Formats: sequence, C-alpha cells, structure tokens
Amino acid sequence: MKHLRLVFLMAVVLLIAVQPAFMQEVITATPGQEVDMLLLPKALGNAVFDQAHEGAIEAHAELENPGELIFNGPSEASAPGQIDIIESAITQGVGGIMISANDYEQLLPSTTRAMEEGITVVTWDSPVDPSGEALFIAQVDFSETGTVMADMALRILGEDGGQFAVLSATPDASNQNAWIAAMQEVLETDEAYAALELVTIVYGNDDPDDSYNEALGLIDSYPDLELIMAPTTVGIAAAAKAMQDEGLCGQIAVSGLGLPMEMQEFVENGCSQEFALWSFSDLGYLTYYVTYMLQTGAITAEVGVTFEAGRMGTYTIEEDPTREGGLRVLMGPFSVYSAENLEEWAIPAEGS
Amino acid sequence: MMQLLSRWTWLRRWETLLLIVLIIVLVINTQLSPFFFDANNISNIFRLSIEKAMVVLLMTFVIINGEIDLSVASLMGLSASVLAVTFEAGWSLPAGFALALLIGAICGALNGFFITYLNMPSIVVTLAGLITYRGVARILLEDRSVGGYPEWFTGLAQNEWIGTFPFTVILFAVLFVVCYIILSRTSFGRYVYVIGNNRPGAEYAGISVRRVKMLIFVFTGLMAAFAGLWYAARLGNIRANAAEGFELDIITIVLLGGVSIFGGKGTMLGVGLSLLVVLNIRNGMSLANVSSNVQTSIVGALLILSVLIPNWAQSLQGSKFWRSFVDRNRITKGEAV
Repeated sequence: MKHLRLVFLMAVVLLIAVQPAFMQEVITATPGQEVDMLLLPKALGNAVFDQAHEGAIEAHAELENPGELIFNGPSEASAPGQIDIIESAITQGVGGIMISANDYEQLLPSTTRAMEEGITVVTWDSPVDPSGEALFIAQVDFSETGTVMADMALRILGEDGGQFAVLSATPDASNQNAWIAAMQEVLETDEAYAALELVTIVYGNDDPDDSYNEALGLIDSYPDLELIMAPTTVGIAAAAKAMQDEGLCGQIAVSGLGLPMEMQEFVENGCSQEFALWSFSDLGYLTYYVTYMLQTGAITAEVGVTFEAGRMGTYTIEEDPTREGGLRVLMGPFSVYSAENLEEWAIPAEGS
Repeated sequence: MMQLLSRWTWLRRWETLLLIVLIIVLVINTQLSPFFFDANNISNIFRLSIEKAMVVLLMTFVIINGEIDLSVASLMGLSASVLAVTFEAGWSLPAGFALALLIGAICGALNGFFITYLNMPSIVVTLAGLITYRGVARILLEDRSVGGYPEWFTGLAQNEWIGTFPFTVILFAVLFVVCYIILSRTSFGRYVYVIGNNRPGAEYAGISVRRVKMLIFVFTGLMAAFAGLWYAARLGNIRANAAEGFELDIITIVLLGGVSIFGGKGTMLGVGLSLLVVLNIRNGMSLANVSSNVQTSIVGALLILSVLIPNWAQSLQGSKFWRSFVDRNRITKGEAV
C-alpha cells in the first residue's frame, strides 16, 4: 500500500516535470484586438504582391481586427522608397509592419527605429538582417528551391541532360541569388544531375522588356541551349513569350518559378513545360497571423514557439539555417505546375 | 483699375501660386492626418529627402544658366561607391570623403569642359556622364554592398539634433540662404541669368561665359558628391545603385519652381517653395495612405501646370483685351507706351 502511494506520487511528479516536453502548447490568436497593420511589398503593380495582399485581407477579416490594414509600396522596387513608407508608418503609430525587403541592409536604420517604437517588424518573401526584424516568414526552404529547379531541369532535359541557362532578376536580388546558389550546389554535389550543364546566368532586372531581350540573347549566344530556367515570375513569362514569338517552343524549354495565371497559355501551347511556385496569398495570410499574434502578445519571437495560423494549421518558430541569428517560420511546400496537372490549376477559358 | 491690375501682376507670379498651393497642401495634410504637424514628422520630411534638396539648389543655377545636368544622381552613386571602396581598403573616413569630393569636382569639371570648351550640348555630355559615372560605380562595387561605418558617420544623417530639432533642416536652411544670396545678390548671380537669357549678348558684354559655366558645373559635381556621402550615411550601407533615378526628381522640383528649361528665368525662392510643396505632398499623402503611384501622378500634373499657367498668363497678357488694360495702366502711371 505504502509502495503504491509512492509510485503514484512519483508518477505525478514525473508527469508535471516532463509535461512541456511532450504536451507542447499550441497558441491560438485572440481575435478582435485593434492593431493597425502595414503590408509593404517590394513595389506596387506586381501580381504576386496583390495576391499576398488578398491573403492579408482574408486574415484581417478573420481576426476581426478593428484597426486598419494598409497596403502601400514604392512605385518602383527601391530601398529608399520603402524607407519613406516605413518612416510614415512609424509616425502614424501602426502596430505591425510586414515587409518584403528590397535590400538586406539598407532598411535596417528604419526597421530598428520602428522596433524601438514598439512596432512588430516581420519580413516575408525577402528578409532583412536579423537585427532589424522579429522574424522572417520564409515561403519555402531556400535550399529546397535549388533542388526543385534542378529536378525540373532534369525532367525536361531527360537522362542525357544538356545545356541550360538561368535568366534571373537583378544581380543583387537576395532571393534569386540564394536560390541559384542552392541549385549550383545541388548540380555540383549530386551525381544524379551530372549531365546538366549550366552555361550562364543572365539578368533581366525583373523587367519584361529586358528579360525578353536577354532570353533572345541566350538563343544567339548558345546554339545548343535546350532550356531557360528563370527563378522569377517576370523572367519566366518573358522568356516563354520570346520563345513563342521566335517559334522555338518545343525546341528550347522554359521553366522556373512562375505564376499559374500568367503561365497557363504558355503551358497550353507548349512554350513552357513545367514551373513551380508557392501561394503568395497563403504567404500574406500567414504573415498577417504571425504579426498580429506577436504584436498582441499572444506569442513571442523565440525558437520553439508553436501556434495555429487559422486555416493554414500549426507552425513553429525555428532558427533560420540560411541566416545566422535569424528566426523564421517556414511556410512551404512548393507546388509544381505542368501540362500533366493542368486541369487542377488552369482557369477554364471564358465562354467554354 | 490700377489697383486691380497690380494685384494681378502679383498673382501672375509663379511663386505666389506656389505659396498658395503650399498653404492648400498644408491645410489638407493637417486635415487628412493628425500626425502631420508632429515635430518628428516635420524633421522626417527633410531628413528623408535632404540629398535631393541639396542638389536641387545647384541644379537651379545650371538650368537658369541655360544648361542641364543629368549626371548628378550617377555622381552621387559614384561618390558613395568611392567611399565604400576606400573604407573597405582600410582608409579613414575623412580620407575617403576627400577622395569622393575630389572625384565629384573632377567629374563636374569634365562635364563643364566638354560643354564650354568643346561647345557640346549639355544634355548629351551629361547623359554620357549619367551612364559612365554609374558604370564606374558598378565596376567598383559590382553587386556587393558595403556597410559597417562608424556610428558618428551614420548618426549624422540618421539621428536628430537637440531633441527633435533636426540637424538636416539647419543644414538645408544654411545652404539655401547661401545659394539664394549668390543667385540674387551677387554679380555672379546676375551673370548666371544674363548668360541664360542671351549668351552672345553676355559675351559681347565681356562676361567670361566659360568661367561662369565651369564654376557652376564644378560646384554641382562637388555638391552631388557631398549629397552622395550624406545618402551613404543615411542608409548606412552602400550599393552601386545608390540614388539611381534621382536626377528626374531633382529636375522636376527645379522646373516646378518656375525655372524656365530654356534658361534665364526663375528664382531660388520659387525652387525652395516647390521643394516644400513636393515634399509635403508626398509626406501628407503617405500619412493618409495614398498609394505612391497616385503621389507620383499628382507631382506630374503639377509640373504640367507649372508650364501651362505662366504660358497662359503670358498669352492672356499678349491679347488685345489685356493690352488695352495694361496700356491704360501705363498711361496713368506716366510711362511711355
């Protein structure tokens, strides 16, 4: 009898002691708190950022935030333009700023100032240095992007491989550079991709005209080129258009990261074979949830904090392996769009 | 009648219209946002645009003189890049400043040399400058960014002085007063106007046109380099694309200030007012969450008005109807008709 009581007592003590380890708390948001929010894209007039805005609007309504959701960005993608908007937001006294940064360092004086004023700064799509943000909502694992692109190239070029070129955004775009570096590493280290030959990297500056001309330039410079890989939505659409205009669809493949809306016609007419992307609307939604929960004090920006982000489910804050001292919430995964699953993602033509 | 007419001439001045526009903008801004008259905000308006404002002052001399300088923004970028490279190489900051400013003056002198001694059009020479100076900046920094400057340097442009009373406002005020006095109270300033109005006439009158133009371009280069250093301090981190595209904003503000693109006309006061109008429109609209695209369109519309209204006033003045009033007015004033 005495033994039994002791065992029972020990069991209780043990349960209390180890409880946090196996019963990790999932924190949920408390709706209805007033927080003015600023969603700051790299620039206005880009379809993906408008989609992120839609996702944020959805979360804003769902959390019944009586505050304002402001969506503003510079007319052209530039760090100084974003600085002006951040400084205005500080003056206005918003509670949360969600940034897709045009520069890794130049926004720091402003975002640090915002954080000193008690504003929650969360980055999404493109981060700043960890010293100037609470955390980063990563769309996908940056190293995974490299594998996804290499896989697409392998599927398109086949076992025999062949030459391909990368058409990127600007030379200093931190996302694109990280993805290309990840892909190069995969190509070099993994035997499976040995037959793929990356001949060059060109930059279309995320401008449709520049990208179009760079794509044409690639055809001229590399007669044996079989594939153009564009890790930017502007670049891939421009490259597919260039191949269509030159009548080279089927001879030179186009792949990379693209918007289903913009790429549908090119997949249908065979100018682009397959491409990948994540949902920007989900990214905006998740970013909003995290920022709201941080600013209302529901969660803190620490490794291991687990929370529920509405319809998207449970996420955990973790260390960012790509940035020393940085924290991230990893959204993931990639969706791959091709002619094979066209029915699932294509928007039917009107009137049919 | 006479009183009415003199009131009209006063109204016809672009500066007056700008002042009215400025007052309207300020009133609307205070209505739109309770934060507008915040001391922090007022200092921010200047802090965030001081680099452009500095170059605007010198650009006023250039355009009144009948020239244009498209290379200023590239020079700002080049100067910032030179500082970055020297800093990376372990130079002290003052040594880097000196080299950047020297290069600014040399580039300005190059612009001036081609324009005045080889008689090439300034729009072509400085367009070449825009491309070349930016190109050199890109060669120096490639796609790298250089940061980590000492606190005293970055703090200069990022912090505020004496509570919320900003250092940048004082700096601009001093530069403005100096430029105002040079342009409107010195013989050099008069030469600038005379050359802009009628270059052959100025040459006959014995004015050293070349010297005046060279001085203007050298000082514009110097000021652009200085503004580039300031910009570097404010961002705390330098890339080769620093200040890209600023030249258009700068020229817009000068023209909006009533300076004629053909030279010879305009005042520093008008340019100062136009600067305040543009900065306050942008700031007020940002605080009211008006999208940047709308802000840009409104500044563009104002620029068109700045050309249209004085033209319209002039053609009205030239019409028979107007002339009959003016003549009568002159007769009553005892002037010769």
